[in-house]
Amino acid sequence: MTRYMSSLLPALSRGVTLLAVMVLIALLPWISGRDPAASILRARMGDQNPSPETLAAIREQLGLALGPVEHLQRWFVNLLHGDLGHSWISGAPILPGMIKALGVSLTLMSAAFTVALVTAALLCWPTLRRGLNGQDTRSSGLLAASLTAMPEFMLSALFLVVFSVWLDWFPPYGWQGAMHIVLPAFALGLPGGGLLGRLLTNAVAATFHERWIATWAVARFTRAQIARAVLRRSLPALMPQIGMIIVAMTGGAIAVEQVFSIPGLGRAVLGAASAQDLPALQGGILILLLNALAIGVIANLVRVALLGRALGLGALPVATIAPRPLNRRLWIVPVLVLVLLVMLVALGLPRDPFTSSYLRLQPPSIALPLGADGLGRDVLARIAHGALSTIGMAVVVTLISLVIGLAVGLMPRLAIGPIEITKATPPTIAALIVVAAMGPSAMGAVIAVTSVAWAPLAAHTAALVSEIRAQPHVRIAPILGVGALRLIPRSILPAIFWPVLRHAMLRLPGNALALAALGFLGLGPRPPSPEWGLILADALPYVERAPLAVIMPVLALALMSILGVSLASLTRR
Amino acid sequence: MTSLLCVRNLSLSYPSPRKRWRRSAPVVALQDVSFDLAAGERLGLLGMSGSGKSSLLRCLLALERPQAGHIHYQGRAVAPGSIAALRWYRRAAQYVPQDPIASLEPRMNVAQLVAEPLLRLGGDGDIARRTEEALESVGLDHRFLSRRPDELSGGQAQRVAIARAIATRPALLLTDEPVSGLDMTIRAQVIDVLRELSNTHGTAIVMVSHDVSIIAGLCQRAMVMEQGRLVEDRPTPELLKTPQHPHTRALLEAAPPLVTAA
Repeated sequence: MTRYMSSLLPALSRGVTLLAVMVLIALLPWISGRDPAASILRARMGDQNPSPETLAAIREQLGLALGPVEHLQRWFVNLLHGDLGHSWISGAPILPGMIKALGVSLTLMSAAFTVALVTAALLCWPTLRRGLNGQDTRSSGLLAASLTAMPEFMLSALFLVVFSVWLDWFPPYGWQGAMHIVLPAFALGLPGGGLLGRLLTNAVAATFHERWIATWAVARFTRAQIARAVLRRSLPALMPQIGMIIVAMTGGAIAVEQVFSIPGLGRAVLGAASAQDLPALQGGILILLLNALAIGVIANLVRVALLGRALGLGALPVATIAPRPLNRRLWIVPVLVLVLLVMLVALGLPRDPFTSSYLRLQPPSIALPLGADGLGRDVLARIAHGALSTIGMAVVVTLISLVIGLAVGLMPRLAIGPIEITKATPPTIAALIVVAAMGPSAMGAVIAVTSVAWAPLAAHTAALVSEIRAQPHVRIAPILGVGALRLIPRSILPAIFWPVLRHAMLRLPGNALALAALGFLGLGPRPPSPEWGLILADALPYVERAPLAVIMPVLALALMSILGVSLASLTRR
Repeated sequence: MTSLLCVRNLSLSYPSPRKRWRRSAPVVALQDVSFDLAAGERLGLLGMSGSGKSSLLRCLLALERPQAGHIHYQGRAVAPGSIAALRWYRRAAQYVPQDPIASLEPRMNVAQLVAEPLLRLGGDGDIARRTEEALESVGLDHRFLSRRPDELSGGQAQRVAIARAIATRPALLLTDEPVSGLDMTIRAQVIDVLRELSNTHGTAIVMVSHDVSIIAGLCQRAMVMEQGRLVEDRPTPELLKTPQHPHTRALLEAAPPLVTAA
């Protein structure tokens, strides 16, 4: 009986969480506290003050006079009939347009995923070759880290300027043919490919430290056979991550579609958010979530198929790299980057980031090292102040999500639903929900990114916990009188803390970028606050005349990302 | 002689793994297994892989609940339960694992490892002194106290695992292939340690093995399992000399010739 209960628990957890999210989405208009009728009127009639009679008429017409419970009931019944309602702005039914947009987004994402796979394979190749030659498989991973550090919105802008405006190789925007897909696919696929390549390299390097490699080599297995076995051993642990990378693309696609004017789902949802068209927003978010959820489920199925019964039988050890003496020169990179960042901040902090005391787009000089932005504000000052605000927010997000991730991940089966649904929610989508509920703000951005940033850490924790629990010294614990609770500080936390902390550190730049992306899309801190995403968005229109204003925040983000990654590689063991 | 352990009509089956979304018949691990164990008696449990001997051990360790039948230790029922509810039984019946190094928590030193059951299960007297006593009785001195599992040889690690198991002075040791991972000379030493403990403290031992020579060297009595059933249960010398069941004969023939001479 209990056996059946415990096997039902994950399914129950998934169901309850999915239901909770659907209810949250369905009730968005009520949670926002915004009068739906008022936002419709604003869209249709501009800023005129509506009379109570007009408002009541519109409420009646749209059936908005219903209370939340009746609305919920109706929304779900309509959903079962495949009816997502009608747009408040255009009055057109939502589902057909959204499905068409989804098709566009899926095409873009499959092209981007191909780019990511090729990138990852290229990044992993040297490690695989060294491992097969019996050499040390350590790699700095700095190239991969730098790729991961390139946010989609920044790459999009960069490619747009370089390849469309300057070189004129590709069309700048639109969605008419094969040429239109190249730049967006690379902008969307390269960061994911960098992350995937880095994870794959780490996993392959760890696998090459396992003893069976030597046995196989001695037994004259061919290099191709060993390479295949190493990949088969390394891939299952990565499947959830691959799922997450694809899901992250659904979020990144929003920015890419926005920059390249691609009529995809992300752009439709962003448009609905800025127009306060809540039915379209609800429908779009729902489709984005279901899409991402399906990706996660598929990734999990592939993992189970790859692992077979090994996991359940407790016969699968954790692949770990044996501790080795640290290379002293590894310190140089983070120290150098830290010095650069500190110098940037130290130089810029005393300056004033808000006053427009210079000429618009004034070129750099000794008094104004990085020039002025489009409003005549000091770029150096804005970047330095932005560093404190963006990194500060990212550190807060990372620490909170580390704590939540560890706590939730310790209950793998109960937590499976929240983890899966949250992993299926890119920060941009979470921000759309938060913005719909409380309007754009720095606090909202932190809440939005934290609300999704804990999930990968929890998933990692849960995967490690289930592997640790399969080890003999943990399985014997009940016989020694060590209970489940005491096992956590005794065996589980010490074994998982460093890998998960390392993972969190790896994600610090990602969190900073997510915050910057929200700022860039207008879903985070409001102008005139100096925030890296906002600075970039402000500078983009002038990129041809004042490229430094674009490059500096990008460079700062990349620097910080390299700092995070190189520090994390030092804390390995 | 009153029995220490009384096992009656144990039956256990596992749901079979799914194949193509369809469940086939459950896998039968134990079928109507009954036996008694006297205090101080050393019992060997022989059988091929999948014969049910490890499942029986899991039931005896109160890790698995049989679908039918019961186990009594000195008249008290033994069944899976909370740590607190089983504390009395864990003190009385301890376990020596198969893979000694992997079953020792790598972050703890030998002193902490051996003291752990004393702390968790409760034991009277000075824990530090009883830890050293336990280590002495397996032939390890105080120099080992501060070592960690990765600084121990396989034989030393198994001695530490035995010391940990006997720290609470149990009357019953359950063990699953305790020497299969060790080389020949070390095997004999570890078996000697177990025999010595059993003789001096009157500790009963149930040892699972597929290796007849190990059982012949330690146990007065041996049982043979096949497909979840007990097919033979006799004193070891008799069983070795005149195996009754065809399965037992097959097991003996598979053993190295050295055994029958011993």
